[in-house]
Amino acid sequence: MIPMLVVLAVVAVLVATLVSAYNRLVRARNAVDNAWAQIDVQLRRRYDLIPNLVETVKGYAAHERATLEAVVTARSQAIGARGPEERAAAENMLSGALKSLFAVAEAYPDLKASAGFAELQEELAATENRIAYSRQYYNDAVLTYNNAIQTVPANLVAGMTGFTAREYFQAPGEERGPVQVGF
Amino acid sequence: MVLWMAAAAATGLWLLLLFALAVATRNPDVEPGPATGALAGQSPAVVDLITGDWRLCDEAASATLLDLAARGVVAVEEIGPGLSLVRLRGQPGGLRPYERLVYDHVRSLAVDGVVATGALAEGSRDLRRWWKSFRRKVIVEAREQGLSRPRWSRAHALLLGAAAVVPAVAIGIAVGAGDAGADHGGGPGAAILSFALLVALMDRLNGERGTAEGAAAAAHWLGVREHLRATGRFAEQPAASVTIWGRHLAYAAALGLAPRAVGNLPVSTPADDSRAWSDHGGMWHVVNVRYPSRLLWGRPPGATILRALAAGWFAGFSTWILLVVAAAFGVWPDGLVLPAALAVGLAVAGLPVVYAIGDLGGAAAVEGRIVRLRRFRDGSKADDTAKWTYWCAIDEGNSREVRAMCLSEEMWRPLREGDTVRATAGRRLGWIRRIDVIEDSRLRASYDDTGEHLVDAPENLGEVRVLPDRPARASRADDGGADDRRRPE
Repeated sequence: MIPMLVVLAVVAVLVATLVSAYNRLVRARNAVDNAWAQIDVQLRRRYDLIPNLVETVKGYAAHERATLEAVVTARSQAIGARGPEERAAAENMLSGALKSLFAVAEAYPDLKASAGFAELQEELAATENRIAYSRQYYNDAVLTYNNAIQTVPANLVAGMTGFTAREYFQAPGEERGPVQVGF
Repeated sequence: MVLWMAAAAATGLWLLLLFALAVATRNPDVEPGPATGALAGQSPAVVDLITGDWRLCDEAASATLLDLAARGVVAVEEIGPGLSLVRLRGQPGGLRPYERLVYDHVRSLAVDGVVATGALAEGSRDLRRWWKSFRRKVIVEAREQGLSRPRWSRAHALLLGAAAVVPAVAIGIAVGAGDAGADHGGGPGAAILSFALLVALMDRLNGERGTAEGAAAAAHWLGVREHLRATGRFAEQPAASVTIWGRHLAYAAALGLAPRAVGNLPVSTPADDSRAWSDHGGMWHVVNVRYPSRLLWGRPPGATILRALAAGWFAGFSTWILLVVAAAFGVWPDGLVLPAALAVGLAVAGLPVVYAIGDLGGAAAVEGRIVRLRRFRDGSKADDTAKWTYWCAIDEGNSREVRAMCLSEEMWRPLREGDTVRATAGRRLGWIRRIDVIEDSRLRASYDDTGEHLVDAPENLGEVRVLPDRPARASRADDGGADDRRRPE
């Protein structure tokens, strides 16, 4: 009888440990998904602002066609990108195209003086900043999740139940550093 | 005996007078008005004061920030469940003094115009001084609007002060008569001390009290409270929901209905010892600070070697005695007494000695931002001889977990949270040997933590006086606070 009880107790402890580890992994994975959704919200906000920006610039600098087309193309590519790595690369390209656009705008005093342009510029800078914080938040969530699925004993549960490591949202070679906001 | 009885009677009469005046000057009873959604002209901070029995609550500062957000001076944006941002929006004009104080605090923390809401508890301000200044500024406005006044008028203060002379003199005479033989001059001393104690008691009971107009306003706002309680689920709303709820959320916070939003904005809350916000690297992020047990941490290597050797010797010697006794009774082989005692001694001393030698041989360079400077008392001694342990947590920017290290008091004193430092420290024992400030904290010089400090409102007696404008530096010096750094313990 006693050996039976001991076995039952051991099994109960084991099951409780596995369930607890599984629940912890699920919470960590949901946190990652939630953080990714936050990035998505901010990125979509930026996509929505860009057509207005292009239209505004076109009104003052219509012959800067190449720069404007580069922005539109980069936006399309960013919208079509899938997965953190691909998306990070596309977003970086879009940021570069926007910087070129704002550099071009420096040559048009009327455009710079336009209230609509100034508002869009400020809004884009704020969105860029929010993306930076969302990215940091996402990467922290991924770090917690990846640590959870790679440490004992949760790695056993992760292996059995299909939890796989997530990618960080950052461009290759990018390190944590001062945020570059503003165009 | 008669003199003492006379002194007691005089003191009792004075206390009776104080009690009578306290009853006569108590706050008016406020009955909640009919539920209404109409927001009157008072600010959330003033509403907090008049609906809180004329005592300002902690929520007032957070409610003020929510109000600034509702008015577009700042924006509160939610990035995730554990992260919201406060974003400055342009140059605000027409802020009230206490709003300016809150705004300046946010501005002092902002990086690229942004600060994480959790980081609002950080900063260089002296929180007590900041809160006192905030409170005074709110009181000034409430008094200007006729909603509040000091409990003791000049006449009350004069009457109580003059009356306090009687029991003080009576006590002085009684003590003097008893002390006549020794001629220690105890009478005048006892009289002065008694007078000071009575005046202190009078001070203690002083505060703000509502006027009839204030009671009417408070009744209206309690009606608003009922309306907000019935219409909005403010208790669950985060600070970022101010975008939807506008000023109603700010007033709900001031009326105690929005604890979550208030908790999101720790403007008047002391910074957490273990959860720090750091802006090292350019973005605010959380750093969890651990203060490990000092068994093998936070000790200088030399002292650790000595302690380890002493502990090893003590353990080895104790074991040797036990084993000698055991061998005498034949339960332990004679030949293993000394080897076993040596093994125990080495086991106790070995690890600390190895750690210490490792740290002596190769100290690491640690460069980063100081996120926490703390000192904790060793043991339970509360007197002047108490020993302190001085801790310094440095965020190097590569981990969200930081183990605070210890250092000497001399090195700890000149440091400030937010300073960027380069330290030479032992990674195994967590002892900082040398620390240099590379860059002073940007939080230090960014603003005067009491604002322009125009108001010199005494906590208790007397009227609030609005002093003429003075240069900020001069006013800080006058307050004795120019070098009054925050040193949380």
